[in-house]
Amino acid sequence: MKSAFRNAYLTLCRDSINPNPTSSFPCLLNLLPAISTSPSRSPFPGAHRNKALHSSLFASPCSTSMAGGEANAPEPCSSLEKQFAAFRCQLDDSGNIRERIRVVVMEIESASRLMQASVLLVHQSKPIPEVLEKAKAQIGELKELYSRLADVLNACPEQYYRYHGDWRSETQTVVSQLAFIHWLETGALLLHAEAEEILGLKSSEFGLDIEDYLIGICFLSNEMPRYVVNKVTAGDYDCPRKVLNFMTDLHASFRMLNLRNDFLRKKFDGMKYDLRKVEEVYYDVKIRGLAPNGESIGDEGIQGQS
Amino acid sequence: MFCFLAFHKISVAVEYMASKFKPHSLRFHPSAAPSPKRARTVSTESSSSSSMKDAFSQYADYLNKLNDKRERVVKASRDITMNSKKVIFQVHRISKSNKEQVLEKAEKDLAAVTNQYMSRLVKELQGTDFWKLRRAYSPGVQEYVEAVTFFKFCKTGTLLNLDEINASLLPLSDPSLEPLQINVLDYLLGLADLTGELMRLAIGQISEGELELSKRICQFVRDIYRELTLVVPLMDDAHDIKMKMETMLQSVVKIENGILILLVLSKIM
Repeated sequence: MKSAFRNAYLTLCRDSINPNPTSSFPCLLNLLPAISTSPSRSPFPGAHRNKALHSSLFASPCSTSMAGGEANAPEPCSSLEKQFAAFRCQLDDSGNIRERIRVVVMEIESASRLMQASVLLVHQSKPIPEVLEKAKAQIGELKELYSRLADVLNACPEQYYRYHGDWRSETQTVVSQLAFIHWLETGALLLHAEAEEILGLKSSEFGLDIEDYLIGICFLSNEMPRYVVNKVTAGDYDCPRKVLNFMTDLHASFRMLNLRNDFLRKKFDGMKYDLRKVEEVYYDVKIRGLAPNGESIGDEGIQGQS
Repeated sequence: MFCFLAFHKISVAVEYMASKFKPHSLRFHPSAAPSPKRARTVSTESSSSSSMKDAFSQYADYLNKLNDKRERVVKASRDITMNSKKVIFQVHRISKSNKEQVLEKAEKDLAAVTNQYMSRLVKELQGTDFWKLRRAYSPGVQEYVEAVTFFKFCKTGTLLNLDEINASLLPLSDPSLEPLQINVLDYLLGLADLTGELMRLAIGQISEGELELSKRICQFVRDIYRELTLVVPLMDDAHDIKMKMETMLQSVVKIENGILILLVLSKIM
């Protein structure tokens, strides 16, 4: 009997015969209503139904009266429905939070774009203090925006990393700009704690993720070759040495980290090309005797040719 | 490269090491052949660079700890997956005659998964942000959800709720800390996988000629599918679940076709 069914089943599958089966349904549906409505009145529908159905599966055919019960009455699966209704509520809430985050993040992005636009003038040999003053005008606003973001997240404690992806890349950009400004100002690297302080973030509540910070610093490194080239073009021959020292230290520091095969690793791997580019500029300047302290090579001829 | 890094870490004279080993790291790139200019690389001893090193050793510490933890969580998750799969296979061995023994064994195995492997995951994750490492443990948790709900359905014909699963995990964690709770997303992804197992179960039952049981399974899978269609648009990472929804629909259709054929046959014979 069993194998006959199996064979016939396979045959039918293959040939996709499709006769009308409706004649066999009514008798099944008639069996249903008696049990199907009772569980919904119980305060614990699930528990109630478990008992009712405990022996229904894999047991004698007479106890299978729940089959197809949902077809005309939504009641019997109320426990299931209730749970899913609750999920919808929960997910709606998190969708709303995401929406609120998105609004703030868009403002962060536009503020950082303004800052970026001001900082970029540094490549056009505008006096640095002037450039910095304009760029730093945005910092107050960013601080304000991040505190708003923290407020949104405070509504759902312990879920910082659930939504983390929504502000990651914007924050990385902000960090890279702040670090660039800081470097232009002091010649030193903006540390994680300093970045948090500038943005008014507190590690205990809404902190700056260290990986985001490090990626931001990698972006800073990407900015350096262009800066050096433009500085030298504008006649600042000492700049490559300073930048090279900084980049060498930075690269050495990054190599203290054990990275996974992720985005940060990729950015770090790219850093050596920035370093190389800066080295090349430094080399060119030096070999032509342009460097102010031009130690060994003072070949006027090369300088004349270039 | 790796041994240099390790060496690097324990070395106190980082400054020195950095300038010494720099050509090595650059030599990995074919176009960056060693050239005389590299000898000129200047290494500064300014205070700013040493504070940079201090800060980076903190970051290194943080990253090491995080990566180690992630690695342990991934391992725990893999063990959960493996053993949950075993439970699912055990449940699949069910048939009319051996229901009691099969489910009894499955229950025991499941308890072992919970007490041995889930508890390890719970301990690893305790006191941390569950969302941060979610990608590391999500596959295991999904498989676990699949196993417990599959077992529950075969035993009682009902869906095991998320709250019930989470309640069963509570005893595993230290009461003073935030307990591990399976999140809605992992639960729903686990349910999506459950329907695949139910499809297999239903097809098996169909070929055994168990019409009523396969109809119940069919109805159950339809309910889940229908409810999920309402929830999916709200979920965070829509990509995963959307793929699963397509598979799920195929499962539903397969069961429905099987039932139809069984009905037809029962009329013929």
